Amino acid sequence: MDPANGAQSSSSAAQTSQTEVGPSFKLKFCTVCASNQNRSMEGHLRLAQADYPVISFGTGSLVRLPGPTITQPNVYKFNETSYDSIYRELEAKDPRLYRVNGLLNMLGRNRVIKWGPERWQDWQIGMPRLKHEKDQGSEGMEGGIADVVITCEERCWDAVIDDLLSRGSPLNRPVHVINIDIKDNHEEASIGGGAIVDLADSLNKIAVEEREKVGATSFDSGSAASRSGFDERVPDVLADWQERWPNLPATWTLAWF
Amino acid sequence: MAAPVKTLTVAEQIQQLNAARKIVLENASYYDRIVKGILPIIGPSSPVELRRWGAEFLAESLSTPALSSRDKENLTVAILETLRSLVDSPSEDPLVLKASVIAAASAYPIAMRWIIHNSYHKESWDSISAIKGRILRMWDGAPTPVKICCIKFVQRVILTQTASNGMEQKVGGLDVSLSMIPPNHPLLDPRLLEAEAAGLLDRLLGVLQDNSSDALLVDATLNTLAILARTRPSTSARILNKVLDFNPLKLANSPMTPRSKVLIKSMEKTTRQLLIHWLKRDQNGPLAPRIQQHIERLFTQRKEIFDEANRKRAFVQPPAADYNDAKRPRTDSGIAPPVQRPAPGPQSLAAVYTLTNNPGLQAFDATQVPAALAAKINVRTLAMTNPQVLEQALEAIRIRFRTLWAAAAAAAPAQPAAINAGTAPLGVDDDDDDYEPDFYAAEDTEQILNKLDSAPSEPPVEEAGVLAPLGPFKLQAPPALDPDLALKVGQVTSNRVFAPLSGLEDVTQKHKAGINRLAASSYSRDSWLTVITRLATRSTAGLEDFSSGVKPEDAGNALDRPRTSLSNLIRETLYNYVLEDWRRRIDVAILWLCEEWYNDQLTKKNGTGAPLYYDKWAPRLLDGILTYTTAQDKVLTRFVAEIPELNKALLGRLKSLCGDPTKVQLACQTLLYMVMMRPPAREIALNTVADIWVEYEDARPLAGKYLSKWRPGFIESQQALADGSAPSAMIAV
Repeated sequence: MDPANGAQSSSSAAQTSQTEVGPSFKLKFCTVCASNQNRSMEGHLRLAQADYPVISFGTGSLVRLPGPTITQPNVYKFNETSYDSIYRELEAKDPRLYRVNGLLNMLGRNRVIKWGPERWQDWQIGMPRLKHEKDQGSEGMEGGIADVVITCEERCWDAVIDDLLSRGSPLNRPVHVINIDIKDNHEEASIGGGAIVDLADSLNKIAVEEREKVGATSFDSGSAASRSGFDERVPDVLADWQERWPNLPATWTLAWF
Repeated sequence: MAAPVKTLTVAEQIQQLNAARKIVLENASYYDRIVKGILPIIGPSSPVELRRWGAEFLAESLSTPALSSRDKENLTVAILETLRSLVDSPSEDPLVLKASVIAAASAYPIAMRWIIHNSYHKESWDSISAIKGRILRMWDGAPTPVKICCIKFVQRVILTQTASNGMEQKVGGLDVSLSMIPPNHPLLDPRLLEAEAAGLLDRLLGVLQDNSSDALLVDATLNTLAILARTRPSTSARILNKVLDFNPLKLANSPMTPRSKVLIKSMEKTTRQLLIHWLKRDQNGPLAPRIQQHIERLFTQRKEIFDEANRKRAFVQPPAADYNDAKRPRTDSGIAPPVQRPAPGPQSLAAVYTLTNNPGLQAFDATQVPAALAAKINVRTLAMTNPQVLEQALEAIRIRFRTLWAAAAAAAPAQPAAINAGTAPLGVDDDDDDYEPDFYAAEDTEQILNKLDSAPSEPPVEEAGVLAPLGPFKLQAPPALDPDLALKVGQVTSNRVFAPLSGLEDVTQKHKAGINRLAASSYSRDSWLTVITRLATRSTAGLEDFSSGVKPEDAGNALDRPRTSLSNLIRETLYNYVLEDWRRRIDVAILWLCEEWYNDQLTKKNGTGAPLYYDKWAPRLLDGILTYTTAQDKVLTRFVAEIPELNKALLGRLKSLCGDPTKVQLACQTLLYMVMMRPPAREIALNTVADIWVEYEDARPLAGKYLSKWRPGFIESQQALADGSAPSAMIAV
């Protein structure tokens, strides 16, 4: 059974039964950073822990991790290298350096979340994702679609939007693409992860509210407030969120898959 | 589906439906059968939960990349009727509508292609036309979430009904276009379809034309335009012009709320991103320069708006001293000021020279202006004054003097009589009277002017009595100087010593005169720094109050004491000066430490017991530098090599560098340099390397290499020792 999609049942009828049925509606998220290692994976983990369906990607051309000096980064290919193999390689190279700079710790975390870093541009949006059952947050993501994409850096947001524009939106599905500027270090990623979950909770709340309003009343005859749906409340939620997280500047747009 | 629907609850049905969905996700070949099976369950009469599920499933099925376009054609034709009934329902749930419109957007091009190839099937064309008609009718009045999906549907209709340039990807029906319709198709008239598409495009772009502030609609529209302009050439110009005319920052004119900030940022960024997207793909297009310009303009405007919002003060007037500003209005018309005849009676010199009628200016006391400034103003004003006006003004003054002169001359005959009344000899002839006026006339106005100019502060003789006599002037006594104030002022003074440094130039040619060089040999930065270091080290050396029970060690902490000597103040400032840019000022640091060391030696020789400073400042400087050292800073080696005295404590600080694996090499190489180039320090340097070997495991390979060369046998003895005792034991020290 697919409990996350049981979400569709949450409605006025399910309002009372929600607690007994258990699964309530969950928005599907996608986190994106440059290398699908630090910030997006922190977000991935935290969202998965909060029971949201989630997938994550990187927009860079290659996975880049710091090396012994700034001019010698460790570079890997997306989609072909697993976190585990990177972990083992770095551990063999210089265990102390990579433990001290936190890389091994990060990779150790990542390898229990999913198999390896994935590249945004190679993602076949809408292709069923059934072979990722072991990934954290995979439950509910079988359809291969997200409702909200959260990027962690402005140039990743730019890359995502540019990619969506060039794909030409064949799926006709609206998607909210939100950038949250998070600095690429472990502390900031952790703070940013909390902020992402906060945003996800706020967004999910209004999405659930929308689904609980049923039918006829909300169209044509309803008041303005009852007519406002999830999509149009996103900017309000984001504005409130921004007040709570003034140090993480956010940008939003409604794009199309 | 075969399940007996009636007996199940809605929740159970949805569970079954989800199971069915999972099957098709796993194997797309089941789509056809399962979609057709669920159609009866999700019709308009079903419970809303089922309709929602069904509409979303239809939208997913029609868009999935797992199915080829050909497979989707059958599917589409099969569901058109159900879709029509869902969108037709007069009071449908918004979520059902939203999903249905998304499904319709995917269905439209696929249905169109099917009809192109199967022109006999009029029913399908009727259904899809009816769906289109219904969606276009609800477009304006629908709730916003549905409306954005209507926008997307309309985009697909335009895409389908406009001729393509074939540059789109062949996925999801994006390639279906007007070009595919044969001219003699019985159901489809390309001209009508194209005209409809053109009309729809205008309606779609209406939201931009209205400069709408509804970011959701604007973003949704903008994000559909990229592929239209790229692959449907007949739409490009219109779309680009509308986007370039759109002002996403309009909302910024109203007061900014957190929400409006989100909206403005969103619309501006989305617009800019779309333009960048086009520009990247067509850099030589006719509109490219305009797009480029627009992108830059948006960027600066956005910056201004958001910077402005952060700034507290508004735009500042340009400084009034900007004389060359071409836009400054001319205030002087070049017409000579009307010359005022001086009033009868005694005149002050100021009044004689005053040409203006402005009472404010007349009252202005020009002596308040500092002489230097007055001189600047005068030179500048004279340089810019129209010579004619100046001439006229001078003439006016001359006229006044003549007038005054005439008045004085008229009064003159009476004056000598009054003066000489007692002394004049009686019976003097009037012959001399002929001469007297000549005496007065001998000086002409120029001469008087010259005379007055040379003594400007003296009032003219005639009006000596008019001005009040000046009393003796006394300067106010300065307030008594207490030690705190003196200290404060001293601090300011010591800071001032550093002020010329920024203005002084580096001497390119350096001569090394060593400790004997003259500080004041030239006015360059180098010499000035020598002056400063000597001020710090020698000026008050031996004069400090070190005998009054303050131990010399405390003198090292002199900075913390409320009273700090001038030398220490300068030292402190010098320390900050070096650390501000230590890589380039390492010379200064070395120079300073040399001076300290030299002075300490002198102090020791004199035996006065004055405090010593080298041992206090050398470690402090090294600590300061080490804080900012990176692995590449070879200059550290130079610093350690050139300071006059090394000791274990100093080198121990170097050792602490090895805590960071990246800096091990720097630390060890520095020490190696000491070993090789500074024989007196060789032993302590080697001791430090040995310590490093013992304490930092990471540094062992490098330290071991040096030790095996310079202190053979050490490592072996260590290892032998380690076998017996604790590994951290240090024996080599």
